[in-house]
Amino acid sequence: MTHIVSVQQVFKNYTLGTFVVPALRGVSLDVEEGEFLSIAGPSGSGKTTLLNLIGCVDTPTSGVVRIAGNATETMSERQLTRLRLHTIGFIFQSFNLVSVLSVFQNIELPLLLQRSAGAKERRSRVEALLDRVGIREYASHRPSELSGGQRQRVAIARALVTRPQLVLADEPTANLDSVTGTNILDLMKELNRTEKTTFIFSTHDARVWSYASSVVRLADGQLVDRVSAEEAVRVGGVGNLPSARTP
Amino acid sequence: MRGYVDTLKVIILIAFRNLFASRLKTLIVGGIILFGSMLVVVGTALVDSVDASMSRSIIGSVAGHIQVYNAKSADELAVMGSFQMEGADLEQIDDFKSMRAALLTVPNVKAVVPMGLSGAMVPAGNSVDVVLEKLRDLIRRQQAGEDVKPGIESQKDHVRQIVSVLAADMANVGKVLTDKAVAPEEVAAIRRATAPNFWSEFDQDPLGSLEFLENRIAPLASDADMLFLRYVGTDLAAFAQSFDRMKIVDGTTVPPGKRGFLFSKFTYEEQVKLKTAHRLDVIHDAILKRGKKIATDPDLQRFVKQNSTEVKEIMLQLDGQQTAMFRTKLQKELGSQENEVSKLLAEFFRIDDGTLMHRYKFFYDELAPSLTLYRVRVGDTLTIKAFTRSGYVQSVNLRVYGTFAFEGLEDSHLAGNLNLMDLVSFRELYGFSTPERDREIQAIKAAAGLKEIDRDNAEAELFGAKPSEPETAAPAVASDTADAVLRGLSGKNKRERRQDQTYDPAQLGQGVILNAAVIVKDARRLPQTMRDIEAAGTKVGMTLKAIDWQKASGLVGQFVTMIRYVLYVSVLIIFAVALVVINNALVMTTLERIAEIGTLRAVGAQRRFLLGMLLVEALAVGGLFGGIGSALGAGIVAVLRMVGIPAFNDIFYFFFSGPRLHPGLSIVNVAIALAIVLVVSGASSIYPALIAMRVSPRQAMQSDE
Repeated sequence: MTHIVSVQQVFKNYTLGTFVVPALRGVSLDVEEGEFLSIAGPSGSGKTTLLNLIGCVDTPTSGVVRIAGNATETMSERQLTRLRLHTIGFIFQSFNLVSVLSVFQNIELPLLLQRSAGAKERRSRVEALLDRVGIREYASHRPSELSGGQRQRVAIARALVTRPQLVLADEPTANLDSVTGTNILDLMKELNRTEKTTFIFSTHDARVWSYASSVVRLADGQLVDRVSAEEAVRVGGVGNLPSARTP
Repeated sequence: MRGYVDTLKVIILIAFRNLFASRLKTLIVGGIILFGSMLVVVGTALVDSVDASMSRSIIGSVAGHIQVYNAKSADELAVMGSFQMEGADLEQIDDFKSMRAALLTVPNVKAVVPMGLSGAMVPAGNSVDVVLEKLRDLIRRQQAGEDVKPGIESQKDHVRQIVSVLAADMANVGKVLTDKAVAPEEVAAIRRATAPNFWSEFDQDPLGSLEFLENRIAPLASDADMLFLRYVGTDLAAFAQSFDRMKIVDGTTVPPGKRGFLFSKFTYEEQVKLKTAHRLDVIHDAILKRGKKIATDPDLQRFVKQNSTEVKEIMLQLDGQQTAMFRTKLQKELGSQENEVSKLLAEFFRIDDGTLMHRYKFFYDELAPSLTLYRVRVGDTLTIKAFTRSGYVQSVNLRVYGTFAFEGLEDSHLAGNLNLMDLVSFRELYGFSTPERDREIQAIKAAAGLKEIDRDNAEAELFGAKPSEPETAAPAVASDTADAVLRGLSGKNKRERRQDQTYDPAQLGQGVILNAAVIVKDARRLPQTMRDIEAAGTKVGMTLKAIDWQKASGLVGQFVTMIRYVLYVSVLIIFAVALVVINNALVMTTLERIAEIGTLRAVGAQRRFLLGMLLVEALAVGGLFGGIGSALGAGIVAVLRMVGIPAFNDIFYFFFSGPRLHPGLSIVNVAIALAIVLVVSGASSIYPALIAMRVSPRQAMQSDE
């Protein structure tokens, strides 16, 4: 199978004044197309950092990150932006919708940035997704007029509208109640199944691991292991994860 | 292409939605831009209109499009707005003929008018002098055997009337001043002139009595104002042809080849006319033309007060018969039993808004025909004494042929304070020699037997071999000879005769001048024409300096430039404030939208998208409010154009080239406003755009919505 994501020996350090804080320490990971992968780990384990590197919104201190065959370390800022636009969809913990645009316009936005689809095609794609995520009647509403779950559905539709190969979701259910969170995960899982889109989502919530095809477990910036969803659920919460520093 | 349009649409949509979301900020920023753009449109339209009007005034009245003078001059030429009476110290241009020929080789030059500008204080005589002169003339005629006794008695009666007015005046002065402040010789003179025996003995020595009156009484009449005249000596025919706004109001123009003087009508009214009558005219015009009211206008109230308190200048003009006539008419008009004419006149001139029109008509219909309204009348001879450039006093007697005005600028002080005289007389007053003057000097020399000696031999020639011995005989001889020469020339004073002399009109096209007005064919090409003129001068060995009408007009022409600078500085300040305010507002907006910007970056927006978004926001505010401001400005200019801005004083009358300015609006005024607004708006979005472009897409992962 083809690796849509290939992370090899990636280190990422952040500098805070005179201190260097290592966020990732030699992480290697391959993700195959069509996977529904969860990155698990407690707060500060490096989930978001890894997701940032895979999403090309950040660059590693060292190591290699390949997305859809593109070696990101050699790409310019402009090329990375294009890669994000055409290859990756984002779902954020806080939804991150453009408050002054309507639901329809928020979903349409990446297509407008791509400048490849005509108005008719854009409309049909957006309407299809509105139906798919079940918020058709809210098309003309502003984000502020929607509930958290509805906003995350808008975010999912926006992430999928360009038909990306990869969708990254950072704690997609963290700001949702459990029922809404479950609905959102059901929706993402269904889209993964029907659209064959690869999903990678970070979470520290053990309940959502059951949706994943596999779970990558991080601790202290290091990859602990990669297990099946069943194994992860069996092991339990993030507190039960083995320490990366423990041999 | 379609994709770009759609992207632009979303940028515009986001920009406008953001502006609407921060309405208060948008309104504050927009308000400043609106005011600024309105100011630019109205300000530039007004300044341009004043500029155009004033250029018509200046070019059409005396300056022409370009003034040319000698580049070696000590001062810069200023034909208007100079506070120097004599005008600028200019080096002469010796040969106008060559200069004119050189200038006419420049293709854009249409006409060259020779000029010289100077000024003089001219004694115009007072009422007492006029009466005494008439009396002296009658006495001479009586001594020559003519029977003019009734005339003499009438004039004596008038003089006695004048003396009684002056005596009353002195008595009034005595009430407010101490004895020490009143000159005893003046008191003695009045006492003598009012004594009955002075008049009973008058006929025994009429000329001696007249001399006393002329020397001791006439100076006490303080209406003997000097006329302050600024004048341009020029080729009057060429002047009239080149400055076609000039029209003759009274009399005629100076005939070709004749020496003569033309009063500007404004100066004539303001300086030469009876002051009471002039003030009455001013009040009348202010009410009729400018809608002012005596009740509310302090200036008009002052004029009314002056007219009712300063009746002496009228009283001095009245002889016994006229006094009686005035008494009867004024008593009837005012319904008064008062016998003193001065009190009746004071009462008559105490006018208000209700009585003005009737009294104005009554004054001109009933009283003015008995008065000398103008101290110098058309046809009179004016003795102009002026300092030559080298500093000695020169005088010429010039016949006043008429008055003139520049059409549309009749009430303008600036256009009306220059009078005209023939160039030949000007040259003489300025100390330049003329052929007639050379001939006259030669005649005097010949008659006196004068011999040219050079400086080195002067002592030996004049005083012989013993220079230390005082020579007493020579001056006496010289004096006798001079007297004889002058007697030879007289009969009628030589200078007085000169006014009747003609001169060869060819002199106008040659000889010495100080400056020249150049009229061009195409006024848009002034800078090039000025360069061509200077080059043409150089070719014929003349160092000419050409300046445009604006510079030539001196302070006046620079007024618009000054106003323009003030406007530009105001606009600069307003838009600098706008720039800072827009910049701050956008920076705040940008900082508030870090997450949104991060999201846009994360989902694939390039940096230029963000730059475009902020630029559109700034330009939208600028364009919208700048557009509204410009439209409002255009509306204000349109209203002003319709109603006209009144010239509230004579300076503005000149600037507006008439009583009202009807400003015009050109597309350039609006374009300037919009261009400034857009540049400022664009510039103010640069820093916020830099902040936005530095926002990492990682921010989307870290921030709350």
